[in-house]
Amino acid sequence: MRRVLGVLVTLMLLVPLTAPGAGAQGAPIRIGVPVPLSGGNAKMGDDIAKAATLAAEEANAKGGLLGRKVEIMSFDDACDAQQSVTAAHKLLDAGVVAVAGGYCSSAAIPASAVYHDAGVAFVADASSNPKLTDQGFENVFRVIGRDDQQGPYAAGFMMKTLKAKRIAIIHDNTLYAKGLADATNAALTGRAGVQVVFFDAVTPGEKDFSAVLTKVKSLKPDVTYYTGYYPEGGLIAKQFKDLGVSGKFMAGDANNDPTFVSEAGNASEGVFVTSTPLPQDQATAKAFIDRYKKRWNQDPGPYSALEYDAVNVVLNAIKQSGSADRAAIVKAIAATKMYRGATGAISFDKKGDRTSVLYITYIIKDGKFVPYGVS
Amino acid sequence: MQIALQQLVNGLTVGAFYALIALGYTMVYGIIRLINFAHGDIYAVGAFLGLSVYGLLAFFRVGDPVLATLVALVVSMGCTGLLGVLLYRVAYRPLLRARLSILISAIGGSLTLEYGLFLVYSPSFLVYPHLFGRAGLTAGDIQISWLQILIFASSIVLMAALYLMVHRTKIGMAMRALAINQDAARLMGVDVSRVIALTFFLGSVLAAFAGVLTGLYYSQISFLMGFLIGLKAFTAAVLGGIGNIPGAVLGGFLLGILESLAAGYFSSRWKDVVAFAILIVILVVRPRGLLGERVVERM
Repeated sequence: MRRVLGVLVTLMLLVPLTAPGAGAQGAPIRIGVPVPLSGGNAKMGDDIAKAATLAAEEANAKGGLLGRKVEIMSFDDACDAQQSVTAAHKLLDAGVVAVAGGYCSSAAIPASAVYHDAGVAFVADASSNPKLTDQGFENVFRVIGRDDQQGPYAAGFMMKTLKAKRIAIIHDNTLYAKGLADATNAALTGRAGVQVVFFDAVTPGEKDFSAVLTKVKSLKPDVTYYTGYYPEGGLIAKQFKDLGVSGKFMAGDANNDPTFVSEAGNASEGVFVTSTPLPQDQATAKAFIDRYKKRWNQDPGPYSALEYDAVNVVLNAIKQSGSADRAAIVKAIAATKMYRGATGAISFDKKGDRTSVLYITYIIKDGKFVPYGVS
Repeated sequence: MQIALQQLVNGLTVGAFYALIALGYTMVYGIIRLINFAHGDIYAVGAFLGLSVYGLLAFFRVGDPVLATLVALVVSMGCTGLLGVLLYRVAYRPLLRARLSILISAIGGSLTLEYGLFLVYSPSFLVYPHLFGRAGLTAGDIQISWLQILIFASSIVLMAALYLMVHRTKIGMAMRALAINQDAARLMGVDVSRVIALTFFLGSVLAAFAGVLTGLYYSQISFLMGFLIGLKAFTAAVLGGIGNIPGAVLGGFLLGILESLAAGYFSSRWKDVVAFAILIVILVVRPRGLLGERVVERM
């Protein structure tokens, strides 16, 4: 039912987009941006699309690329496997030369096969499931880290900094959350004195998690790590405190959002969140944040800077290769070396993963995400 | 033992929400044999209207949380009740004799409300003010907040009031008469359309009550919040025997407790599978639900 509506919404969005762009010398260079614009993750999608638009507008203000204007085409993938494939086909039909975007791994992975078949470069901004680049597609890249990089980092933080012995892990069965949970579990298994006492999933979209937390409580954990997304994360953090579960509450990078704090209220104080650094905690992103605020009159979302970089990596590749040919772009992106983006220097390894990804832990203090310790 | 009791408390809280919403499904089905798919979204509208009232009261500096909550409940329940009547007038009354079309109309109503909220309010999650802390009763390891007690007690009171109204008042008699035979009721001088409208009003009022309490208790609301819980509440209504008021209440609490126990003693991931498997077994044994769809006098 909702899927049908999603398609309708997409169709409605399509109308203004397919109207011919006026005033461009030659056809514009079109970059595809698939993001969730409906459903629970619509806000993230909106933040990402705005960052992409900003990148394109800046390129156009400098005279465009190869004498042509850059145009962003944004379609709704609703974080849904089927709809992301539909969106991918629509983008290809619209003649995009490369794709930079996506949010949920469960939507990005099926779509990546479509882009692969068409030979179009796909630079993911926020999809961190290892599978995305493990498929062996030469056209797929990502500017965010992989869950199997965040998992060991989170495990190390629990063991070394928090000195945790009994650890509970909760995910939500989505590809991203399960991937991060598995990677964390694997990094903890076999460590002397450390025990994963609980490993189970909750259902996204529900509001009451007291039953599962009551079970966790009976296992007396030192740390409970939630690897799902913030809408449930805030509720779980609140109910965790309400039920008086022992130990610390810790959450994965999809909880790095102010809504997490407003949902959990006081219960969010002292919660740890593992994440790539927020833009405002990176010196390289200062200029981007100022421009984003000026353009959109709001703060950038947690993935805005990554999307800004993803689009710019594509634009940079077009500039370097001097061609808007799909295959040439793929080649030029793979050759990207130390591109200076808002999230730091960007290079890709053979798989298309970004080399040298930084993770940090935030602690929530007075309702703010404060860096706890950089590693 | 303490854990089992805590799980029971958890289940009763969720169950109270299921029961309040299930009543709306069951009353409408009892009277016009319609599965009102939009009912879950009516509940969502109630939650959003409540949030607006809180916002307005904060603007006028009404600081007292109890007073603010009372106003939010009354305004939201009243407005949502009228919305339920409007939905009936616009989407259902012209189609009362077209069984399939009215079902599609119900789905249309559901989507209209969902995406109406999306457009009027916000695509992202909204958060209620944290008015009531987690204070409450503690017995050993068992935690019960005052809010939980309030939710449970007030829903029981409302359900009892509804039951008494249906069985002890003249208008209740008219509702029951309608459930048995519409034409006969009309011949006896019952204003059929008005009584049906009243049924929608009452169901929507209860849903709005549940919506505002959801916001207060869980703090988070979103335009799709009615989808999943609507499905569950409908299930609860069928479990208890659709068209049957005590059945909806029993079904709601039972489903809440089943889910809670399944998550606590089996696995949270398998919670729905376990709870719904038990449900299928119950329905196979008792196809008309636990308390039965009373043929002669359905409510």
